[in-house]
Amino acid sequence: MPVSVATLERIESFLPQRSVPIADLAGTLGLTRAKVGVYRKIFGLDNIRFDPEMGLFDLVLPAARAAVSSVDDPGRIRQVIFAHTIQQLTPANIDAAQVIRDELGLRRADAFGLSQQNCASGLAAIDVAAELLRAGGDPDARALVVTGERASSPMVQLVPNTAIMGEAAAACVVAIDGAGDSVDSYVLRTLGEFAAGLLLDDAGNKQFGKRYPQVLAEVMRSALAAAGLAFDDLDLVISQNVDTSGWREAIKELGVPKEKLFMDNVKHHGHCYASDVFVNYTALRDAGRLVDGGRYLLISVGLGASFAAMVITHHRSPPHPAR
Amino acid sequence: MDHAKLVAAIETARSEVLEREVTGLTEDTRLFEDVHLDSTSVLELLMAREDIVGISVDRETLDMDDVRSVGTLADYLDAQQTGSALAAEPSQA
Repeated sequence: MPVSVATLERIESFLPQRSVPIADLAGTLGLTRAKVGVYRKIFGLDNIRFDPEMGLFDLVLPAARAAVSSVDDPGRIRQVIFAHTIQQLTPANIDAAQVIRDELGLRRADAFGLSQQNCASGLAAIDVAAELLRAGGDPDARALVVTGERASSPMVQLVPNTAIMGEAAAACVVAIDGAGDSVDSYVLRTLGEFAAGLLLDDAGNKQFGKRYPQVLAEVMRSALAAAGLAFDDLDLVISQNVDTSGWREAIKELGVPKEKLFMDNVKHHGHCYASDVFVNYTALRDAGRLVDGGRYLLISVGLGASFAAMVITHHRSPPHPAR
Repeated sequence: MDHAKLVAAIETARSEVLEREVTGLTEDTRLFEDVHLDSTSVLELLMAREDIVGISVDRETLDMDDVRSVGTLADYLDAQQTGSALAAEPSQA
């Protein structure tokens, strides 16, 4: 029996208009001039999108609405999965996933949050959505993965020695054997010994820094092997907006040429929790840079630590629009 | 700027990064093993020196081997200074 393939029928993203130079955040983030220099010159950051006046749902809903509008009958959306990094985004009496579902008018859908993989939760949620759709067995059913969160305090805006977080949101309509990009492979590796994430002590951080390039390279290799591809077959690696020495070391080890990496948005948006890999995808798609039939490797790493890699084949013009 | 001055500049930068006075660095002093700077602190040290030694760090050319010791860092800064000076001269081609 042929394996049913997860497909990404529509991906949308949203960025707040307000762009802030990271140097302007030095005071609130407690960064010295030299530290700002490291983030700018070594990690490639420059500006981030950041709007303290914008609420969580103002940020999240535009991309989600755009994605839902691509489905001819939104009643076919059976799951709404809100994938995020920060565990508590709302007061305890407000379930953000259910608010998103209700605001989208998808009252028949189940709605839940997923944050265990932190910034890799967006890719992980696609895998979870596909499994739920397969288990449901209805070929017309769809799932909606939603990402987006605010950099609401300095504590969650700065990942020391790695990134300054910007704000963005995205949404992805997932189907099984539907139209749109096919998911050719997905590999997730979790190193639970780093579960403390932002609260790791110095020794833990050092150990994580040491393991990072090697594990990232392994996960990328495994995803390619599972898709039956080599790096030469890839059109582009679409990563989250993190350009640390660890990332560079992994890329160097794999021998991926620079022109196969899309890192253009690091300087414009910074790292945007679970959203930036999708923001980068839509930026490339909207610029006409995704080739029909092209193979792309999506990469996200979440503190905690989860390494996720997904190979997709892009289909620019779905042969069979929504049924 | 000669090497002795570069070493002195590195010493000053290291004091800034560690927020305490540091003296007695030599070219052989290893930045990771001997003075316990982690990789990010070394990068900070480079940033703190950019304006003083008149260079601009290019992350495309920076290798971790360049920051192993005070001496290799001084060599890197020296090479960057030379590169900046050459780039500032009008081309004769």
